[in-house]
Amino acid sequence: MSHEHGKAAVGCKAIFERLSEYLDEELDPEVCAAMDRHMGDCAPCAKFLESLRRTVTALHDVESPRLPDELRRQVLEDYHRLRDDLKDG
Amino acid sequence: MSHVDADSLLLDKIHKDEPDAFDRLVELYGDRIFAYGMRMCGHREDASDVFQDTLLQAFRSLKTLKEPKALRSWLYRVVSNSCLMKRRKGKFEPRRELSLEELMPAGAEQAAVEIPDLADLPVDALLRDEARRAVHDAIDSLPPSYREVLMLRDIEQLSTREAAQALGLPESTIKMRLHRGRVMVRNHLAAQVGTAAE
Repeated sequence: MSHEHGKAAVGCKAIFERLSEYLDEELDPEVCAAMDRHMGDCAPCAKFLESLRRTVTALHDVESPRLPDELRRQVLEDYHRLRDDLKDG
Repeated sequence: MSHVDADSLLLDKIHKDEPDAFDRLVELYGDRIFAYGMRMCGHREDASDVFQDTLLQAFRSLKTLKEPKALRSWLYRVVSNSCLMKRRKGKFEPRRELSLEELMPAGAEQAAVEIPDLADLPVDALLRDEARRAVHDAIDSLPPSYREVLMLRDIEQLSTREAAQALGLPESTIKMRLHRGRVMVRNHLAAQVGTAAE
């Protein structure tokens, strides 16, 4: 039986609260099954879940800035100089 | 090689004080430490300081670390503390956790806004670049306490437990902040899609 979004027996808010845990597979199987049933009956929740899934995929694919070569070289030189000084001293 | 195996070999080198131990640490974690600093501090100069602070701490303390599995969360703990010292408590730092009601879409229409899948976008460099920029902007717009959790979980891909250890927070708080952060990013992207469609 369909319901008006936000007014289900297993409330949309309760579902909404656990969507990340659902995507991360951190929930008990019974809870997942209850959420699957809800989503099958509530198109807005199902669509929101899909948009959240795509968001997480986009986040996983984010390219991070790389350590500049100059800074890498500088920190390695500083370290090895310090190490040599400690050995000599 | 798994990251635990790589960390185990690295820690072994550090314990034995091998000459290339530090180089290996920079090789394995340099990019990540710098990227985390860039995202959390927002400036290259601050990120460079954070990077150097973290490596200095590592040089001083890693010899006492026994458990290779704890290496990642230990390093991120040092980086996040260093970022915390750098960043000013500003207007973007919420004084309380944001409530889910504030983030939940008001109606079916808002819930149904579709987020494009980057992989599905036409092979059009401009479109992809625009979508990527929108994701970066969305991350940068998060309050720092949400951004740091999202960075560790979704970008650095630490487990909930590792992120909790790195930030010194309960796992329940990590889960809560991660979800709110993701929803905020999703809403930011949905607003961009809405604007683009107008």
